[in-house]
Amino acid sequence: MKRRAVRRLPRSEGPWAWLAAGSVAVSLLMLGGLLLLIAVRGLGHFWPASVALVTLDDGRAIAGRATRELPLVGQEGNERLYFTGNRDFDGHVWEWIPVSAIASQQRPVDLVVLERRRYGDFIGRLVAVGPVGLSVDHPDQEAVWPRLQARLQAQQALRDERDRLVRDTLRPLVQRVDANPGDHDAREALAEVNDKVRALQAGMHGEVAIVESVGGRRLEQPLDEVLRAWRPNAMSPVEKLMAWAQNVWRFLSEGPRDVNATGGVWPAIFGTVLMVLLMSLLVTPFGVLAAVYLNEVAHQGRMTHLVRIAVRNLAGVPSIVYGVFGLGVFVYGIGSSLDEWFFSDALPSPTFGTGGLLWASLTLALLTLPVVIVATEEGLARIPVEQREGALALGATRLETLTRVVLPMAVPAMLTGVILAVARAAGEVAPLMLVGVAKLAPQVPVDGEFPYLHLERKFMHLGYHIYDTAFHGNDVQAAMPVVYATALLLVLVILLLNLTAILLRHYFRARHGVLARQP
Amino acid sequence: MIEPSRLASPPRSHWRHQRDRLATGLIAAGGIGVVGAVMAIGAFLAFEVLPALAGGGIDTERLRDALTPMAWGTLKAALGAMVFAIPLALGAAMHSALFMSQRLRSRMKPSLEMMEALPGVVVGFIAGLVLAPWIERHLAGSLALLAILPLGVLLAAASWRRLSVGWRRRLPLSRAGLWLIPWLALLGYASFALSPIVEARLFGGDLRVWLDAELGLDYATRNALIVGLAMGFAVMPSVYALAEDALSGVPSRLGEGAHALGATRWQTLWRVVLPAAAPGIFAAVMIGAGRAVGETMIVLMASGNTALMSLNPFEGMRTMAAGIAVEMPEAVPGSEEYLLLMLAALLLFAFTFLVNTLAEVVRSRLRRRYRWLGGAP
Repeated sequence: MKRRAVRRLPRSEGPWAWLAAGSVAVSLLMLGGLLLLIAVRGLGHFWPASVALVTLDDGRAIAGRATRELPLVGQEGNERLYFTGNRDFDGHVWEWIPVSAIASQQRPVDLVVLERRRYGDFIGRLVAVGPVGLSVDHPDQEAVWPRLQARLQAQQALRDERDRLVRDTLRPLVQRVDANPGDHDAREALAEVNDKVRALQAGMHGEVAIVESVGGRRLEQPLDEVLRAWRPNAMSPVEKLMAWAQNVWRFLSEGPRDVNATGGVWPAIFGTVLMVLLMSLLVTPFGVLAAVYLNEVAHQGRMTHLVRIAVRNLAGVPSIVYGVFGLGVFVYGIGSSLDEWFFSDALPSPTFGTGGLLWASLTLALLTLPVVIVATEEGLARIPVEQREGALALGATRLETLTRVVLPMAVPAMLTGVILAVARAAGEVAPLMLVGVAKLAPQVPVDGEFPYLHLERKFMHLGYHIYDTAFHGNDVQAAMPVVYATALLLVLVILLLNLTAILLRHYFRARHGVLARQP
Repeated sequence: MIEPSRLASPPRSHWRHQRDRLATGLIAAGGIGVVGAVMAIGAFLAFEVLPALAGGGIDTERLRDALTPMAWGTLKAALGAMVFAIPLALGAAMHSALFMSQRLRSRMKPSLEMMEALPGVVVGFIAGLVLAPWIERHLAGSLALLAILPLGVLLAAASWRRLSVGWRRRLPLSRAGLWLIPWLALLGYASFALSPIVEARLFGGDLRVWLDAELGLDYATRNALIVGLAMGFAVMPSVYALAEDALSGVPSRLGEGAHALGATRWQTLWRVVLPAAAPGIFAAVMIGAGRAVGETMIVLMASGNTALMSLNPFEGMRTMAAGIAVEMPEAVPGSEEYLLLMLAALLLFAFTFLVNTLAEVVRSRLRRRYRWLGGAP
């Protein structure tokens, strides 16, 4: 009996079949590893990690977050990298400490981390909070921390009020005065608002926190430079989770600081989305038009076949070549002519004769046209010819057949094409480097000034933000978390778009699969 | 109920037909316009470059000096990528086309499509800033992995044959792509954990120093090995998708015939299916090579961008695409450098276009052959 059971098994396939299976496993392993790495590092960046107070053998003390550990070169043991902050003291924020040199390690709850506008984070102890020139004879640890929180909140309220005043009142007044220098009412109002803003700023200036590094060096930190303060060692996991969520939100909603190494990516998100939106507005009608022409109108001869192959092949042409085309034709060709005709008073500084939002969208539209054309054509070809014949037999003209029968059936295919095009465009960076992406453009290309949408402006892009921050920053090590987080954001957006396209295509095939004509 | 058509009223019908003719004309004009615009790319590049080239606008000497290292770098990078991508992609395609169950396959394909969609910047960032320093520190372990992973798979296969029937049913070959993952991950971990010991015994502690001393090979952090790995990762999914299409498109009656004659699945694949699908696989590899040649961001971020000409896989290179991306924004329009970069773009365009056309022709011939082999459906 047993022998029989063994015999019924499939025969052995030999080593090659197993190697083939192994390559599937290796591919999935690499993909999973990459996604996991980006996800863990990208999300971990926002976690308020505990700060360790490390005392070394020689009595020196440092406070910082341990980030990584590597084996020592040429010796036994490991060394650990601490992020110690306090760049204004000695100019560096990282410290490698051999693990063997650590005498003791604690996590005192009174260590504070200040997030500052300049010089990055401060890590140390809080001594006193008050007006400039306060004395620190009676440090009172317990009362100081709530006071700092209260003062920071007050500062934030002042800052918000100032920003609102500048945005809603000051800027329009300045424009009025610019447009009409003789407008005395506006001038008076402007002077009044200016005084108010100055008063607010003066109110922000006068306060300092006296802080002390664990090494014993004191610093008078002006409070208007401090964005946030927290005591990570005193936080409960729930508080940390709240802070984490808050950090994620700030990352998504704020602009970059410190040469892009910290802060958020809001302008880059905005730029990417706006560029992709413009691109899809351009690419959808033209792509569908070309597909309809190729599949429904053109004579299905040899020529059309060749054109179809060529269009398909253009999807495989490297994106950088499209970038060169965009630079040569749009920027240097059309853009320079536009400048000469309409913006000659601004010359020699170019308006449209340099990279910008419009040219980037156009270049990417050209780049993704083949994707939309191919997907739409595929959808059109799947519609059984009987449907068209039926419509024609009922007396519809060709246009009516097209708009009432064929195109509605092909809508999911078009959507798939556009989504795939958007996903491709969102991740494409190389052509943008030639036609209009910027390292830092905190002014988003949409604002309240006529014509509201500034097509000639440069813009920030998530993908370029990754490249630039990772390769052209001052301190790549410090910028890495931001790069990871940006990469995670980009990957999430693109995977989501692709997933939508895959599901749509699946749905479409399931619906029309029965009708599909033979390939 | 079908309503009777109101074809009878002539003026309305006349207007309808006029409108139809107008719309058709507009669609035709627009379609031709769009297709023309897309095709204008090649024409534009040729018009920019060829007159200058023919009229002696570019010094031939300088042309050679500037383009040779870039062409060399491009070929080296593409070759490195293909060395990684081809075995992985073809192996995966064979496995999923012939061994996997239909259900597993329909889940596998989208996940590899996702892999294709990963943007080059992200792959390049991971390769250049994370993987490159890591491999530099763990060079011996990484290289050992190239041998350990296949050997580990074979070891798994050998021990699988000794398993009891129940376990073999639970871990079938058709799902090996999944259950091998933890085993391979474990092997990878072991390889990195043990490599320092082996490195100390055989290479005096540091493989990089040994390579330099014994073989005279320099080691740059960002090198062809990293580029090959990263770009192989990026190219692999598209090669896989096309090869899988070619393999699973082979009429099933061919394979069934071989099975009936007593061939194993692998024998069927090797002797029957693979020869039938060979042109399609060739096309898949060609398209993959076209992609590898034009990929910009990965090379820019992972290659070090040094214009070297060496065969050493541990040194960097500069490719045409990366050169264009870096230098084009600074080049003055009409200058010699600008023309050189345009020429590089034209070469890239011509190469990828030709390769893709060749692949497309091969694929359409193959489809015809399948129809002929499969008989009328």
